[in-house]
Amino acid sequence: MKKKFKFSTLLKYLALIFLFVYIISPFLWLVIMSISSSAELTLKPLRWLPEKIDVSAFKELLVMGLNTRGELFLFALRNSLITALTTVFLSMLVTIPAAWVFSRYSGKKNVILSLAIFTFMLPPVAYCIPLYKMLVRFNLMDKSLALAVVYCTFVLPFCVWLIKSSIDSIPYELEEAAVIDGAGFLQRIVQIVMPLLLPALGTVALMSLIMAWDEYFYAMLFTNSKTAITLPVVIANLASGRQSNYNLIAAGGVLASAPPVIIGMLFQKALIKGLVSGGVKE
Amino acid sequence: MSYKKIKGSYSFLTIPMILIMGMVIGWPLIQTFIFSFTDADLLGIGEPNFVGLNNFLNAFQNRGFLNSLRISGIFAVVVVSVEVILGTSVALLVNQPLIGSKVVRVFLILPWAVPTIVNAIMWRLIYNPEYGALNSLLYQLGMIDKYISWLSSADKALWSIIFADIWKNFSLVTLIVLASLQSLPESQIEAAKIDGANSWQRFFYITMPHIIPSLQVAMVLRIIEAVKVFDIIYVMTKGGPANKTRTGSIFIYQEAFTNSRIGAGSSFAIIMVAFIMILILFYMRTLSQQKR
Repeated sequence: MKKKFKFSTLLKYLALIFLFVYIISPFLWLVIMSISSSAELTLKPLRWLPEKIDVSAFKELLVMGLNTRGELFLFALRNSLITALTTVFLSMLVTIPAAWVFSRYSGKKNVILSLAIFTFMLPPVAYCIPLYKMLVRFNLMDKSLALAVVYCTFVLPFCVWLIKSSIDSIPYELEEAAVIDGAGFLQRIVQIVMPLLLPALGTVALMSLIMAWDEYFYAMLFTNSKTAITLPVVIANLASGRQSNYNLIAAGGVLASAPPVIIGMLFQKALIKGLVSGGVKE
Repeated sequence: MSYKKIKGSYSFLTIPMILIMGMVIGWPLIQTFIFSFTDADLLGIGEPNFVGLNNFLNAFQNRGFLNSLRISGIFAVVVVSVEVILGTSVALLVNQPLIGSKVVRVFLILPWAVPTIVNAIMWRLIYNPEYGALNSLLYQLGMIDKYISWLSSADKALWSIIFADIWKNFSLVTLIVLASLQSLPESQIEAAKIDGANSWQRFFYITMPHIIPSLQVAMVLRIIEAVKVFDIIYVMTKGGPANKTRTGSIFIYQEAFTNSRIGAGSSFAIIMVAFIMILILFYMRTLSQQKR
């Protein structure tokens, strides 16, 4: 190691500090707002740290009571979970066998795979009008299950794309050996491919969960009461009112961010690896 | 990839997926296409009439629509280029052996993991003209002498949203490029050093070619998201002020669900899909030409 002082090293450290502040400060401010009292947030000029920690905003959102904000928020939390989990379960259930066929028996049917990936690129406004009419007609508005099926428009293509490329990297010889021992397609998928696919499936499932958890557009159009409304819609509505309970809005934001942020920090490597391996092979 | 085929036809395994896709993607797309030739309205008052190509002809004379496509274009170009440049530079920086770069790497996932809607309301609070942190900060630092209304002034709203979007999404580019940088074998760099390549040459002839495939993936993902942007804008400005932030998606949504003209709205959607298709085809062609 040379002990020479380098100007460029100093610049790099300055850049690193600046970067850290840039990444952290907006969200840190959201957290600070959420634990400030609403009176403190309307001071001029602003005070940057609250005098004492005030968790009343979290209490208001997380305590159940008839027709309160807490009730709506907790129901939305439940609905978001149900919708996201159903979406991922449904997508996995139908894409794993399909992806296996696309990987092992590629041929003309891979047009379907290309079509699926292509639809991932289309804007939701291209589907939303007929979907809206369909849901109204079959009385499926404001239902979590229906919303989960709608979410398949963007989760399905994503899953089939990544799962197919993960299966591609599992050696085919393993299956050949099993076939000689008399295995049928079900055994090949369940006993040979699945165990090796599990890490990749975990990644895809987490990514899909985050995608469904984040979704706003369809939820805003297709849900309107506590039976199916999701967190993003509730938070957006909270923020669009003329009220100035900024701490309440911030607390809602912090709570909705917690699951994906925690998942992201814990599984960062796996998430990114999954995303890159799926794409680069194309 | 090709295998010695084990005999058997398992196409039926794709049927459940095709059924769901047909129901929520195929059928709605066809319907949108059909609607685009009618004057259908949202509530279904009166039978929709077939109006031929009228919707499309009107679309190309509709100032509002053309302008919304222009705003989508500006948004996508600015956001994606800044995110790619910033994202790559940050990846190169935190890949250096600096004290603390590991900590920064862990926090890089934070902006990406914050939900889009939370990002939107977070920045709305920060931009708040009276009580927002940005005005207060700039004022206390003496950089402005009166508070600015970031999201309700026609010349600042779009740029304020773009800044907010970049905060959330540059990190995806960084994370993808970083993953690729970390798979670059140390020995290649060492060999180049021995051969006398300076740091710029090492960057352009070894590092760049190595990260470009990953960078392309990140770019495609970001372009796809940016052209169809809706959520962040809808929550921050609803397309205002004076329609200065009204992108294609917002315009189509308003046409269909606020003005209840789903015939016209559908034709706008079809035109937007056509634009995106051209964009993707163009991108894929340049990619395949590069490979040759």
